[in-house]
Amino acid sequence: MKKLSFLIVLLSINVSANSILIKSGQINDGLGNSFIGDILIVDEKIVEVGKFLNSSSAKIIEAKGKPVTPGLISPISNIGVVEINALDVTNDDSPDFFGPGFSVFNAFNPHSTLIPWNRSNGVTSSISTPGYSSQIFKGMGSFYLLDGDIDITGNADVAMYARLGAIGGSRAETIQIMESMFELALNKDELELEELLGTTFASSMDMQLQDIQALSRVVNREIPLVLEVNRAIDILQALRLKNDYDLELVLMSVEEAPLVLDQILASGVSVIIDPMDNIPDSFDELASNIKLGGILSNAGIKVMFSTQRSHNYHLMRQGAGNAVAHGMTYQAGISGMTSIVADVFNIQDRGSIKEGYFADIVIWSEDPLEPSAYPTTVIINGSEISLETRASRLTERYTDKRDIPSSYKH
Amino acid sequence: MKNHLFLAFSMLLIYSCSEDVEVSQSSTADAPAKSSSLERDPFESNYKPLESERTLIKSVNLYDGLGNEYSNFDVLFDDGIIKEIGKDIVDNNATIIDARGKWLTPGLIDIHSHMGVYPAPSVRTSSDGNEATSPNTAEVWAEHSVWSQDPQFSLALKGGVTAFHVLPGSANLFGGRGATFKNIPRNIIHDMKFPGAPHSLKMACGENPKRVYGNRGSAPSTRMGNMAGYRNAWISAVDYQKRQNEYIKKSDEAKELVDPPRRNLELDTLAGVLEGEILVQNHCYRADEMANMIELSKEFNYKITAFHHAVEAYKIADLLADEGICGALWADWWGFKHEAYDMVPANIAIVDQARGGQGCAIVHSDDEVGIQHLNQEAAKALSAGLRAGYEITKARAMRWITSNPAKAAGILDQTGTIEIGKDADLVIWNKNPFSVYALTEYVFVDGAKAFVRGEKELQPVTDFDLGIINPSDERASL
Repeated sequence: MKKLSFLIVLLSINVSANSILIKSGQINDGLGNSFIGDILIVDEKIVEVGKFLNSSSAKIIEAKGKPVTPGLISPISNIGVVEINALDVTNDDSPDFFGPGFSVFNAFNPHSTLIPWNRSNGVTSSISTPGYSSQIFKGMGSFYLLDGDIDITGNADVAMYARLGAIGGSRAETIQIMESMFELALNKDELELEELLGTTFASSMDMQLQDIQALSRVVNREIPLVLEVNRAIDILQALRLKNDYDLELVLMSVEEAPLVLDQILASGVSVIIDPMDNIPDSFDELASNIKLGGILSNAGIKVMFSTQRSHNYHLMRQGAGNAVAHGMTYQAGISGMTSIVADVFNIQDRGSIKEGYFADIVIWSEDPLEPSAYPTTVIINGSEISLETRASRLTERYTDKRDIPSSYKH
Repeated sequence: MKNHLFLAFSMLLIYSCSEDVEVSQSSTADAPAKSSSLERDPFESNYKPLESERTLIKSVNLYDGLGNEYSNFDVLFDDGIIKEIGKDIVDNNATIIDARGKWLTPGLIDIHSHMGVYPAPSVRTSSDGNEATSPNTAEVWAEHSVWSQDPQFSLALKGGVTAFHVLPGSANLFGGRGATFKNIPRNIIHDMKFPGAPHSLKMACGENPKRVYGNRGSAPSTRMGNMAGYRNAWISAVDYQKRQNEYIKKSDEAKELVDPPRRNLELDTLAGVLEGEILVQNHCYRADEMANMIELSKEFNYKITAFHHAVEAYKIADLLADEGICGALWADWWGFKHEAYDMVPANIAIVDQARGGQGCAIVHSDDEVGIQHLNQEAAKALSAGLRAGYEITKARAMRWITSNPAKAAGILDQTGTIEIGKDADLVIWNKNPFSVYALTEYVFVDGAKAFVRGEKELQPVTDFDLGIINPSDERASL
């Protein structure tokens, strides 16, 4: 965590002032377990998970058997870095200058309207990623807590993003460029950085110091490479790159993964998919199939979820629901939005309902995989968060039947 | 007598331009009696249903698409038409489907699709959905762009969609004509056209036209430029309509003395709107712009059938209800552009409930994935409506994806509800269709099994799907 605030340490002395006891929830802990139980939260952390818990000082929230899950973590989003897609002055997700060295971290706007919207729908943290880029490596994404606090809690540069496939030019050259960049970052000749930048390859690729440093983190397994890839043979090429350069690899999209299932399983990589995208949208995605989530997950591959549209990252719930409807297990659906994301992206002590973990918890109106479900309580870092959004304010205004101009309804 | 005016125009064209008058006459001699033997719809529907059998669905839970829910009901259909609805129907000649515990709904209808005109794969060579070369391309017809082998049709069918309306894109003030199709994939597009369904005219407000043409340094580049563009076009259309009607009213003798007025494809479409034969489907996000479009329609005396996308419809829900204009809306899309910023998830419910439930709300997709899950989109919209304090039943919400889009497409007299005499466009779901876990089991189009889950021979496979990954396989099993 970037925020290493001593203030929190001071606050934690006053235990009773900030504790919450959730009673009788249908707890899906994110780790594959489901049980009726209670959760005791003190300050930022979960201190106890069990049955018949009591606290004389905690605020009691009766879950009454409703589903309780860890706060959802979006593994790929533009929360805080894009406000309106088609309005470029509100977009901070794409570099003009850097390639792999681009970091979105400092662009995050804690007052973005996407934050209340997504968290009121159950997403308590997210990884905001670089957006469109003409380059192969799009840069690095960062992790953020969606508490909306101006004092941002997050992890900078948790993963590198790249893509392989029908993106213009030959995919053979894309692979060659990736390999050349990895070679450069490995710096087997132990050149000074200045010398590295002066190589013909680096200078013709317009590589900057930051680009090489970022790629070094990838080849040294400090951060995962999230590689968007679809065609079956490209997936095998990606797995070969993983082997050749000892990468921590995460595959994204992988619409033709069922054709190379055994190889993916053997490689141990995890995947991010949009389970609802069954459209053969390019000649790389001909095997696209709504059963993708279940096929991968049931084979033993860790599956996380992306969403097709911007802004509504909570819709990974609907994606997970559709995956479950088409063969994925229910608990794999829950874990794919919580503990697996935390695990893959090294987000410490989040993504599960577990003693000692940060209390990012959602209580739901009904099964959270149902599109009609919504959170009734959202807790981030142990604090109950308002569910109000700009949308709820607009709804109130326009369902207010008083005969006065809407501008005066507030 | 649909398209009377256009039929007349076609006739004029044939008389004035064609040397092949006799052939034209004889080719339509067998057509049903019309006021002239030459009157015919160009590119008219040649749809024929698949073969069907007399079928009795037993003991099913049913949403009729009119707002009613029934338990343990039976539905009998034959010759593609719903014959009987009720309890304990006995019929010894029908094939029985025991649907105990399952759900029956009308076939779903999407009023805003670009299937076929933006087919999959999404590649330059078949991206034919928007003739974005002029602000007014009312002369183009979406059906002339539709690729009949689009694999998206079958995916939508599996999602319960039995009819859909294909629109041109929104780069233009007037984008051209939309057309409605039965979701039976065929290799000639007119074999899919919904019989008797009216054309629509796609109009677009706001950011898209002003961006596309403004960026080229031509009009419109502003919203006021958009309005001027519509008004100028309607002025021409009124004039055109007048000249055509004056000619048509002349006696045969008088007609011989003058040249017929020259036909114009662009104005044909606009005049068709003025005649009430072509329905206006108007892409428009902002409340203030929708109000302007309503004023515009009054200035030129035409009717707007539906505002599409209409992210701000909730701000003028009463006005839409008063004007009898439907809102064809998403459950939750927002933020992709400035005019889509003020999204509220209760938008559909607010439009539905305007003036005590007089509103016409439609869940539309505008999307090849969304069209497969219209039931889930309706579930989200319903949930948001309940949270906003409205009392709306699931049975009523079912109207948003059945009878209301049928009404907006002008096909409600044939489909969109489960009523005696209607086309047997029906879906059997294994669970309540408002659940994410609900899957279609049978999709009937005109009483024929167009899709049956688990039965490969009853699932369409397009030419595109065939042998494209491995020669011996289909692309992906449904």
